[in-house]
Amino acid sequence: MASMEKRLQKELQAMTKDPPPGVQVDQESCSRVMNEWIVDLEGATGTLYEAEKFQLQFKFGSKYPFDSPQVTFLGPNIPIHPHVYSNGHICLSILTEDWSPALSVQSVCLSIVSMLSSCTEKKRPPDNAIYVKTCSKNPKKTRWWYHDDTV
Amino acid sequence: MGNCFQSQNSDDISLLRGSDAPDNGHGQEPLPQPVGPPPPYQEAEVVPVYHPSPNVSRPASQLTEEEQIKIAQRLGLIHHLPMGVYDGTSKKAKECVICMCEFTFGDTLRFLPCMHAYHKDCIDDWLMRSFTCPSCMEPVDAALLSTYETS
Repeated sequence: MASMEKRLQKELQAMTKDPPPGVQVDQESCSRVMNEWIVDLEGATGTLYEAEKFQLQFKFGSKYPFDSPQVTFLGPNIPIHPHVYSNGHICLSILTEDWSPALSVQSVCLSIVSMLSSCTEKKRPPDNAIYVKTCSKNPKKTRWWYHDDTV
Repeated sequence: MGNCFQSQNSDDISLLRGSDAPDNGHGQEPLPQPVGPPPPYQEAEVVPVYHPSPNVSRPASQLTEEEQIKIAQRLGLIHHLPMGVYDGTSKKAKECVICMCEFTFGDTLRFLPCMHAYHKDCIDDWLMRSFTCPSCMEPVDAALLSTYETS
């Protein structure tokens, strides 16, 4: 859909020109396919994840921005965090039921960075083992239970 | 209201038939099938797709009764939201956050009760999924009803 591509172009421009601190779009990934981005994240200084490097994958459907993007951690370093499963899935309400088309790649990255920054203890979600074994590949198909607003 | 179902103009067909008429009766060999009934409509019937909630797409034929009512109510309420044409005088609204494009002269805008403005086509598409303002997450129907009560 043309309007979706146009918006993604605008977002890419903004992310390249004025990226949030510790966030960088992998330009090469976007040039291959416009609807799949890789974003490099760096843990903020003074937090449990300081100097750690992470990768996020964004997949945009044809109904973006009306439908939320599919966002997961990727690669060898998946942050150990109570809302991040070992397969990279993230339990974050703005990625499903609290999504709004006014949100963007930039605001999603900021939310994830702040989710990591506010963490006080590095641990996996309590149901990690069973979730990773039974979940769908697409985290948007999970019926997330947002039980903890503090982190 | 009343213009939800725009009637198709059927004049083109009658004009085509009319131009055939003078040829008859001039001794010309009639065509093998002069004026038969039109061939049965071949195209697969297009069922409109609705979004009872964001990230959920369902053809109209598979909506529950509750969802049908919800969508009918939304359609009705959307028509009560004020519209306008962008004339450049508003200093506040400059960009539609849904498509991330700046408003240009002559764009049709829609205004929500919270005073946020969007391109009509952009916001109507979202309101059919979720009856909230993308910018402030204010439920539009509650705000709409309270303006009725106070005025």
